[in-house]
Amino acid sequence: MPAFKPAITNILLVNINVDRLNEQLELHGYKPVLTPDIECIGEVDVPYSLMIINEDLIRENGAFNIEHLYFLNNNVPTAVFISDPKSVPETLLKFLSESTLEWVYSHEIESGLICSRLDKILIESCLNNNFQLLQQNHWEKEKLKKEILLRNQVLDHERELNANIAASIASGLIIIDLKGTVIMLNENARTLFKLASTDYIGSAYGNIFPVKIRTAIEDFLKKMLSGFAHHEMKKISIEDSVIEIAFYQMKDYGHTINGVLMLVNNITSQENTAQQLYRAEKLATMGTMLSGIAHELRNPLSVISARAQMALAKDAWDKAWAIKNFESIEAQTCRCATIINNLLDFARYRATQMAVHQVQKILDETLTYVEYQNSFDSIAIEKNYQEGLVIFGDHSRFVQVFLNIITNASDAMDGKGTLGIRTWSDDPAWVTVEIRDSGSGIDNKVKDKIFDPFFTTKEPGKGTGLGLAIVYKIIHESGGEVWFTSEPGNTSFFVKLPTGMKHHE
Amino acid sequence: MNEKILLVDDEVDFLDVLSEFLKDEGYETSTARNAQEALGTLQKDSFRLLLSDINMPGMKGFELIKKVKQLYPMMKSALITAYDVRDYINMAKNYDIGNIITKTTPFNFEEVRLLVRNIITEDIFGLEHYVKGPVNSMTIKSSNEIEQVIQKIVNAMSNARHKRKFRQALNEIIINAVYYGAKQERGDRKELWPIDVNLSPSEEVLVSWGIDDEKVGVSVMDQKGLLAKKDVLYWLERNTTKGEDGLSVGLLDDHGKGLFITRESIDRFIVNVKRGSKTEIVMLNYKEGLYDGYRPLWIQEL
Repeated sequence: MPAFKPAITNILLVNINVDRLNEQLELHGYKPVLTPDIECIGEVDVPYSLMIINEDLIRENGAFNIEHLYFLNNNVPTAVFISDPKSVPETLLKFLSESTLEWVYSHEIESGLICSRLDKILIESCLNNNFQLLQQNHWEKEKLKKEILLRNQVLDHERELNANIAASIASGLIIIDLKGTVIMLNENARTLFKLASTDYIGSAYGNIFPVKIRTAIEDFLKKMLSGFAHHEMKKISIEDSVIEIAFYQMKDYGHTINGVLMLVNNITSQENTAQQLYRAEKLATMGTMLSGIAHELRNPLSVISARAQMALAKDAWDKAWAIKNFESIEAQTCRCATIINNLLDFARYRATQMAVHQVQKILDETLTYVEYQNSFDSIAIEKNYQEGLVIFGDHSRFVQVFLNIITNASDAMDGKGTLGIRTWSDDPAWVTVEIRDSGSGIDNKVKDKIFDPFFTTKEPGKGTGLGLAIVYKIIHESGGEVWFTSEPGNTSFFVKLPTGMKHHE
Repeated sequence: MNEKILLVDDEVDFLDVLSEFLKDEGYETSTARNAQEALGTLQKDSFRLLLSDINMPGMKGFELIKKVKQLYPMMKSALITAYDVRDYINMAKNYDIGNIITKTTPFNFEEVRLLVRNIITEDIFGLEHYVKGPVNSMTIKSSNEIEQVIQKIVNAMSNARHKRKFRQALNEIIINAVYYGAKQERGDRKELWPIDVNLSPSEEVLVSWGIDDEKVGVSVMDQKGLLAKKDVLYWLERNTTKGEDGLSVGLLDDHGKGLFITRESIDRFIVNVKRGSKTEIVMLNYKEGLYDGYRPLWIQEL
């Protein structure tokens, strides 16, 4: 009979660690796998064709458990290792002879018989139960089962993590694939859009969201697919709420765009706070403007009054004189009206009105509000306007921007120096305004803070600390940019604003 | 020959009407639209008075006057503005300028006429110049007459607005005239002033009052001429300049506050001084709503 060797040559030794046995097994092409106890058998993750357990374990655990183990262990042939047959109790020997278990003796190791005995056990088991095939299938199945279990665990874990992330983020989270199917929509997003708590996952976005949102998604999808945008922020007002949506393109591992991720926030209260801050700053600006306007009115009013008194005092009017007199009154009255209208324009609370304005006119108007101030007495104003430039946006906000920057400039000069105002454009889409002062300059330490709200270098009571923060906000909302360069004696603020004309490429 | 006045203002319409008015008053006028033009005109022609706007493009009024004073020391000068004179007190003190006329609404031609006349003629003393109507006078010979005089003047005023303001102002100005002006007590040691003092004939204080269609007026005049223009400007400046705490720097001064408060509470506060000879303080109150606007600075020292 040719020596039989099973495909699986591992032999599990439970609670047996005898060097001589290990040597013999290896000599015969078997591989001993050691495990300390019956409880640890489940953890053995290699297949084995035979299990040998120490007789002590049978004594400790009782015969029944061993038999049970045999079945549990999926009919792997099992032998009991007996060190001295004379010491084995009668009852155990009786049990062994009646059970399916085999036994091996320690002296078989010494005599070199052990392996031929094991071969015999295996061949018999094989003939009896065709166990080896079973064993192999079993182990493959086990392996697969374990793998699937592990994958499921990982998947469960990831799913749970995703669900946790989606639920935990304070924003609404929406993910839409390129076909427009919603593949993620968290609770916050449902609440934000007041959607009934049905599962929307799998629906087309067009059927779920309000028109304004649908349009915004559509826009972004178009831009993203044509490569114009990777992300975008949008503010959309729906009823009384202002909703901010951040759009991001989603890519798979191969960097192919496969969807849009949207983070949605209700920013109504922030918007209100921002509006309040804006209005507070506007009031402060209005204070400056008001005294400027009051001063501006006195000049024409005194002329009108003087002219009228002169006319009243005269017995007879020479025609040419009368015409000159009343033309002057008419002109000065119109001047008063313009001044008042400017203030009203500024003071009236209204939604921003976007329109095209002559930048030169806005700058000159702004200057009239501050020029009267004592602090401007020794400040030379140098204007350098490029003719005919326009900017697109809200008139009163522009006035506020320039008023803030000019006021800061004059404060920095402490009443003495040169204020330079320059405008230019080298791109039909943009106009740049430079406001330069010869003042003390901006300290390096504060350069990165000057656009922060409530940051001020002025004495208490002199600045709200909101001026430049508002400037920054307004300019960004107008689609423009603001930056500055500063060294002692030469500080320039640059405001780049859109003209409203499309850039021709 | 008519007195010549040079008017400087970037408000052309204003130049035109003021020039017309002053011509009607019998002056000869030239106009300039900025300081540079004015200096050019002055090179060609001489003038008795320069009347300049403060806030003009280029050189401002204060600088122009400073320059003109250096070049033509005999020429008289005054400033004119539509803005708040309080904001210019500091400059007035630094440039030693006593007269800043204000562009009021209604325009106060009468005041401009008077100021120009006063500056040119130096005939400044006496309430008759300031009030067109009968003027009553009393002399104060001792400190115990002060209360009586004040009561008499207040009684003569029909309007409660004037009564209230004038009582406070009179109290301040007459007491100062008697103790500081006539007796030359130290202004910063009021607590040491004796309660009863008698004034010799050369120390007597003359108080006049009168009423016309537009206003009521009181003049308080001593015979010492102790008050200097620069002191008045100094005290006004102390009380109009704000310190870092936002309060006026002169808030805790022992002296000079009364002057400032009086200037603030009375429509027109006029100081006429002939050094070593007499000091007159004229206080005018207009009918309510008349000549609203800012108060001129009106200090003339001969």
